[in-house]
Amino acid sequence: MRFDVKKNALSLVVWALLLTAPLWVDRVGAYPELVTQVVVMGLAAMSLNFLLGYTGVLSFGHAAYFGLGAYGVGLTIRYLMPSTMAGLAVGVLVGALAAALIGPMIVRRRGVYFAMVTIAFGQVFYFIAFRWNNVTGGDDGLTNWHRENLHLGFATFKLMDSPYDFYYFVLAVFAICTGLMALILRSPFGRTLIAIRENERRSRFLGINVNFHIWVSWVVSCTFMSVAGALYALLNNFVDPRAFYWSQSGVFVIMCVMGGMRSFWGPLLGAAVYVVLQDYLSSVTPNWMSFIGLVFVAVVLFFPRGFLGVLRRRASE
Amino acid sequence: MSFLKVESVSKHFGSLVAVDGVSMNVQKGECRAVIGPNGAGKTTFFNLITGMLGLTSGRVVLDGQDMAGIDPSHRVKLGMARTFQITEIFPELTVRENVRIPVEVAAGLHLSPRMPAHLKASVNDRIEQLLEEGGLTRIAHRYAGELSHGDQRACEIMMALALNPRLLLLDEPTAGMGDDETHAVARLIKRIHRESHMTIVLIEHDMRVVFNLADRITVLAEGKPLAEGTPAEITANERVQAAYLGGAA
Amino acid sequence: MTQLILFNVANGLIIGAFYALMAIGLSLIMSLSDVINFAHGGFLAIGAYLAYTLSPYVGFWGGLILAPILTAILGLIAEKFLISRVYGRDPLYSLLLTFGLAFIIEDSTRFIWGAQSVPYDVPGWLMSPLSADYFFLTGYRMFMVALVALAVGGLFYVMNRTRLGLRIRAGTLDLETVSVLGVNVRVLRNLNFGIGIYLAGLAGVLAAGQLGLQPTIGASVIMPSFVAIIIGGLGSLTGTLLGGLLIGVASGLTAVFLPSATEAVIYVMMALVLLIRPQGLLGEEGRF
Repeated sequence: MRFDVKKNALSLVVWALLLTAPLWVDRVGAYPELVTQVVVMGLAAMSLNFLLGYTGVLSFGHAAYFGLGAYGVGLTIRYLMPSTMAGLAVGVLVGALAAALIGPMIVRRRGVYFAMVTIAFGQVFYFIAFRWNNVTGGDDGLTNWHRENLHLGFATFKLMDSPYDFYYFVLAVFAICTGLMALILRSPFGRTLIAIRENERRSRFLGINVNFHIWVSWVVSCTFMSVAGALYALLNNFVDPRAFYWSQSGVFVIMCVMGGMRSFWGPLLGAAVYVVLQDYLSSVTPNWMSFIGLVFVAVVLFFPRGFLGVLRRRASE
Repeated sequence: MSFLKVESVSKHFGSLVAVDGVSMNVQKGECRAVIGPNGAGKTTFFNLITGMLGLTSGRVVLDGQDMAGIDPSHRVKLGMARTFQITEIFPELTVRENVRIPVEVAAGLHLSPRMPAHLKASVNDRIEQLLEEGGLTRIAHRYAGELSHGDQRACEIMMALALNPRLLLLDEPTAGMGDDETHAVARLIKRIHRESHMTIVLIEHDMRVVFNLADRITVLAEGKPLAEGTPAEITANERVQAAYLGGAA
Repeated sequence: MTQLILFNVANGLIIGAFYALMAIGLSLIMSLSDVINFAHGGFLAIGAYLAYTLSPYVGFWGGLILAPILTAILGLIAEKFLISRVYGRDPLYSLLLTFGLAFIIEDSTRFIWGAQSVPYDVPGWLMSPLSADYFFLTGYRMFMVALVALAVGGLFYVMNRTRLGLRIRAGTLDLETVSVLGVNVRVLRNLNFGIGIYLAGLAGVLAAGQLGLQPTIGASVIMPSFVAIIIGGLGSLTGTLLGGLLIGVASGLTAVFLPSATEAVIYVMMALVLLIRPQGLLGEEGRF
C-alpha cells in the first residue's frame, strides 16, 4: 500500500507536534505536565468518541471507567506491587471488566435514556471511592503512592523524576491505543459500527446484531478510557473521587464535540483547548466554572460540528 | 411445497385490527405482488413476515423453517432481505461503502477487527459486481444521501442483494418516483428476477409495474385477504375492482 | 431499634418526596421534549436561595409561594432563549446545553450567596416535634410531605383533567399528530418546561428548610432523581413518584444497617430493575 501524504496530512501534523512538544512547550508559556495532561485527556476523549462519534451511542457516563483505571493503578501501586506497568494493567483490566458486566444492562437503551442510565451507573463508583475511606482515602483521595521508574531490559526510564521521560511514556501508550482504535475503525467491524451510527434500522435489516455490536464498542471504548484514567492518576501521583463524578463525564463529551466528533483527531484538539482553557481560567478567576459553562453553551449554539468539523466543511465547499 | 408460507397471520394494535387472517404461499423463484388500497395493511403484513412486528396469531414459514421467536437480524441471516417504503440507506457514506457493508456481513466479517488478506480481493470484486449490476458504478464515489430517489432505491436494492438472500421483500420500490425513475427501478427488479430466479415479494402501488413484474398477485383490503391469482385473473375479479373503485379506496 | 428504623423510614420518605418532585419535573420535560435537563438541580438551588432572600421581606409563607413561581419564570426564559433552540437536533446538544447551564447556575449561586451554607428559618411552631416519643416527626416534616402530596395531586389533576394536561400527554405519545391538530408545540413545550421547573423550585424551598442551603444542593439531588425515573419507568408519572419514594426509603433503611452504602444502594436497585424489568416498574415496554 502506498502512503498517501495528503490523506494523512493531519495525522502527520499531530504526530510532529506531539513528538516535538518538549522542545517548544516552554516557549509558549506551557509546562511539561500540562502537555502530558493534554495527551491523557486527548486519549480519554478519543476513547469516548469511539462510541459517541463512530458508533453513534450517547454515553454520558464514561468518567466511571476513567476513575476505575485511575483507582486501579493507584491501589495496585500502593497496596500490591510498586510497579507502574502492573498498576496500569490492573487499572485497565478492572475498567474493562466493569464495562463488560454493566454493558448488557444498558445496550438495549437508546438516545437520552442511554445517557441517563450510563451517567447514573457512574455514580456507584463515585460513592464507593467516597465512602470506602480506609482503602481509598475517601474524599481526601488516594495518596502515599507514586509512579515507579520503568526498567526494560535495555534501558531504564526515569518516569519518577524526569517529566519528559514520563511524557514520552504517556505518548507511547497513547500511540498504541490510538493506533489500535484507528485500525479497528478501518476494519470491517469498524465499518459495521459506522453503519449502526448512520442507520440502525438498515443495519438490523442487513443482519447485524446491533445490540451485540454496541456492547463490543462500549467495552472497547471503556477499556481505552480506563487506560487514560490510569495515566491520569500516574501523572498526578494521586486520585480522588472527583475523577468519577458525573460532571467529569460531561467534560469528556464537550471535548469530543468541541474538537469535532466526526474527525479522528477532533477530540484531541477539543481536549487540548479544554485543558489549556481550564488551566488558564482557574488561575485568573474563581468563577471559572461559569466560563466553562459558557463554553458548553457556545459550542452547542455556534460550533455544533466542532473545530475540525467546521474546517472540513470549509474545505469541502 | 411453497418456499414462503404465511398462515393466517393477524396483528392487533389494541382494539385496532391491522392485519386479519392473511395467508399467502409463494413458490420458489416466483415474483409476487401484494396490492391493495391505502390502509389495507400491506406494510404491516411485510413487517410481520420480516419480524419487525410480533404476530398476534398465525405462522410464517420460510423454506420449511418456522420463523416464530427469530428476531429480524437473524431472519436476514436465514435469507430474508428487505427494502423499506422510505429508502433506508447510509446517507453520509458513499455508495461504494453502502454496498461494502452488506458484502462484508455476507462474508461473515462484520465482527472481524481486520480484513483477512485472502478475502480482500473477492470482497472488492463482489462490491464492483453489485455496483455494476445496479448501474451504480459511475456514482459509486458519491454520498448516498445526495443521490436521486431512483439511484438511492437502486443502491438499497443492491445492498439487500449483497446479502445473497433467498427471499427479497420490496416495500413500494417505486414510491414517490417519476415515470423515468419508476421505469428504471422496475427494469432492475425484472432483470434480477430473470437472471437469478430470486423469489421476490413486492408491495406496489403502480399497476403498470405490478403487471409488468408479478407472476401472481395477492390483494388485501382493510387488513383482510380479498383475492389472489394471476394478473389476468385479478384484472377480471369484480371484488377487486369494487375495492379499488368503490368505497374501500 | 424500632424507633431508629421508624426515624430513618420517615427521613427516607421525606428525602424520597424531594426526589419525586424533582424526578417528575425531569420526566415531564424528557417525555415531551427529549431533553435531559441537567440544570434541573440548579433550578432547585435557585428556588431555595430565592426563598432565602425573599423571606425577610415577605415572610416564610410569601417565600414559599413566590420563590417557585419566580424560579418557573426563569425556567421559561431559559427554555425560550436557549433550550428551545436545540429541539429537534441530536439529543446530544440539549444535554450539553443544560450541562453548561448547570455549571453556570451552580457557580452563580456560589458567587451571589457564597460558598458557605446559610440557615433558612422556618416558623418555630412548625419545627416542634409532634410527640416526645417520635421526636423526629416535626410539624415541618409533616407539612412538607403534605405539600408534596398536594403538588403531585395538583399535577395529576392538571395532567388528567385540563386541556393543557391532555395536550401534554398526547404530545408525549405522538408529537406530530398533536401539531397537525393545531396545537402550538412550541408553547406546549414552554409551558411544560415551566411546570417542571416550578416543581423543582418548590422542592428547593422545602429542601432549604430541611437540609440547609449550599450551592451544591442541586448537584446532589439530580442523580437520585434520574434513578427514580429509571426505577419507576420513563413516561409514567405514577411510576416516577413511586420510584422516588422507594429509593428514599431504601437509603433511609440502609443508613441504619449499612451506613457506608447509604448512597450506593439506590444504584444497586437501579441495576436490579434494569436486569429484571428493563422498562421500569410502571414503564411500558418498547418506548425507549
